[in-house]
Amino acid sequence: MGLGCARRALCRYSPGVRIVLIGFGVVGQALATMLHAQRQALERRLGAEARLVAVCDSRGCALAPAGLDAPTLLEAKAEKKSVGDIPGVGQRIDTMRVVLRTAADVVVQTSPSDLKHPRPALDHLLGAMRAGKHAVSVNKAPLAVAMPALLESARYNRVSLAYSGTVGAATPVLALAARLATGDTITGIRAIINGTTNFILSRMAECDEPFEAALAHAVKLGYAETDPSNDIDGIDTAMKLVILANHAGGVGKGCSYSDVSVQGIRGLPIERVREARARGKVIKLIASISERGLLVAPTEVDVDSPLNVPRNMNAVTFSMHNAGDVTLVGRGAGGAETATAIVRDLIEIGTR
Amino acid sequence: MRIVMKFGGTSVADAERIGHVAGIVRAAAGKHQVLTVVSAMDGITEQLLEVADAAASGNDLRTGELLTAIRDRHLACAYALGAHEHVRPLLEGLEAVVHGVLALEELTPRSTDAIAAFGERLSCAMLAHVLGATPMDGRQAGIVTDDHFTEADPLMDLSMFQVQEVLGPMMDKGQPVVVTGFVAANQHGVTSTLGRGGSDYTATILGSALKADEIWIYSDVDGLMTADPRVVPEARLLGALGFAEAVEMGKFGAKSMHPRALEPAAAYGVPVRMRSTFKPDHPGTLISSAPAPTATVVRAVPMLKGLAMLTVGGAAMVGRPGSASEVFASLARERINIHMICQSVSESGISLVVSQAQADRAKAALERTLRQHGLARTIDVRPGVCVVAPVGAAMKGTPGVAARIFTCIAGLGINVIAIAQGSSELSISIVVEGQSGPRAVAAIHKEFGLQGDQPQANV
Repeated sequence: MGLGCARRALCRYSPGVRIVLIGFGVVGQALATMLHAQRQALERRLGAEARLVAVCDSRGCALAPAGLDAPTLLEAKAEKKSVGDIPGVGQRIDTMRVVLRTAADVVVQTSPSDLKHPRPALDHLLGAMRAGKHAVSVNKAPLAVAMPALLESARYNRVSLAYSGTVGAATPVLALAARLATGDTITGIRAIINGTTNFILSRMAECDEPFEAALAHAVKLGYAETDPSNDIDGIDTAMKLVILANHAGGVGKGCSYSDVSVQGIRGLPIERVREARARGKVIKLIASISERGLLVAPTEVDVDSPLNVPRNMNAVTFSMHNAGDVTLVGRGAGGAETATAIVRDLIEIGTR
Repeated sequence: MRIVMKFGGTSVADAERIGHVAGIVRAAAGKHQVLTVVSAMDGITEQLLEVADAAASGNDLRTGELLTAIRDRHLACAYALGAHEHVRPLLEGLEAVVHGVLALEELTPRSTDAIAAFGERLSCAMLAHVLGATPMDGRQAGIVTDDHFTEADPLMDLSMFQVQEVLGPMMDKGQPVVVTGFVAANQHGVTSTLGRGGSDYTATILGSALKADEIWIYSDVDGLMTADPRVVPEARLLGALGFAEAVEMGKFGAKSMHPRALEPAAAYGVPVRMRSTFKPDHPGTLISSAPAPTATVVRAVPMLKGLAMLTVGGAAMVGRPGSASEVFASLARERINIHMICQSVSESGISLVVSQAQADRAKAALERTLRQHGLARTIDVRPGVCVVAPVGAAMKGTPGVAARIFTCIAGLGINVIAIAQGSSELSISIVVEGQSGPRAVAAIHKEFGLQGDQPQANV
């Protein structure tokens, strides 16, 4: 079923892909910009116009069945206002009501991944699918805690659940995993899937800088947030590992966050980095899936390993039963990169 | 240990028994983390379905009578337990729904479930009051089903996740909770019921989600027996059994568990213990993935009575693809359940075992579709047969078991009418004349030494 056909009869406006966007931070704004700037190219790819019929931030929502004007939305954000305050379209309305009641085809969830509070985002995704809408999420938390439940809900309601931006952003890590699992068995995965920690570890190795200094440098360059706990404690990496494991099938199918053993890089002594270097190794924050289970831990890899990627790059090595190792390298974060993944998901859903 | 305890309708049939059940729960809660699941009071679900039908057919007098009976029984019980303040609003809610059905004279599967669910909600309110526990229905506990009202299937992954989220922390804190069996809701929160397997199914879903150490299913019998004691007086209680064996025994006897209810427990490896409310210290029957090996090849000899065998014959069926499918399709359209199927490789006939009560309808359905199209030449009904079905996991791969079974039946001069064995090899179904059934059961029971010592499971 393509987009827009299910409720076309109910819609008084021109049919098309009607999008509800939840979260209007860096990624949400990048998506709105992209949908606006590339609308003609997108229309050709989708065979229909894609338009934002609702945008919700943490304080309110903007609603317009005929489509919201991206520049107006971005302007409100530039003035530090909620989209709920935009005259004419803004409303102080509960996001869940918008998800359930708006005539729309897809709900895109871009709010920040908060593992401690996955609930509002999880409810939005389940609510969207229950209401017969497709769901796209770049928020990792709901998937990390309840991926089997979300996939079951998509199957039962016969809608698509897409999340290709959760791991690797625009780098198609999940698509490659699924492709590799077709016709061969993935026996193990070793992955660097958090750019911030890789930047810090690379900096420690290359500049012989202690952890705190390297972290401060990452914050200064905007690679790390002011509260970097999610990254340096391995939480972000572990959430991505759960999604990757479920998506790849095999050993990790049906797992959730509580199945992962997580160790971050907070306070990693520079001595360990030096010792590793003396032995021709570097320390990386490696997420791995093997018969030993799901693991996130600082791990030594060979200097000439394909996993020894610089700066904030991501790298994933899939070990195949027959075909040996396959490694994918790419940038794994960023507003435009993540928004690109969402556009990719939208096109895939719309043309299915 | 973490335990899910489920009490059936006879265990909560009146105030005294609810008090007794509360005592069992309290004793267990002193040693374990306990979650309680409860059925409706004995006979109430049937009465609720009857009241729904009466209301749908506009019979206001019968509706009133039945509502009064349900009300009186629950209020009498509730007053005795001091729980009337909790029960009264539920009874009012029930009356409102029933009056809605009466006004419209229309009953949908959805409103049937809304009415049927009150049985468990009422018993749950009373038991929770006595225990000082939180009463919850299946929806609040997190069980989500599809929209197939009256026979709803759980969305298992979603239910597992939600149950863990809702009940997990309550159990960790040792907070007492009583959950309604049988009752759940679809994803929009509309009440549904689980149908076959009912409250047992609720218990195994909750037990699997909460990674319980054991699920205890209480009823008025001690556990599963090697045979029906009315047929074989020396029948013994089975101490331990495998899930696969218990599934084979599922449809024999009202006190066994429906295979559907055993499914989640088997999938998640949570042992199920069937035990008696009236003998709380008796260990009962433990059903698990890996029961201790036993000396006996055949573990039990259940029997199903009141059956008829239909034989569809005709040369036109031989080598004709799709002929079997037409036989089954015409019975399915009449909603006739087929207990057993036999066809020999000659393909000149298919024999089916159905309930005696459905035999005439089945014959008529086959006549209509098969005879008219010349597909079948004869359709014979042999009434008054029964199926004897020795069960045992060790039967698989043990040569000579079938020979021993048939030799001992033949020794009594009993004619074997038909035989079926699935490739699981866990049981053989043997059709014999109704009056020969008990003798065949007794003989097989004796041949395999089931009256002898059976290892008892430890609690």
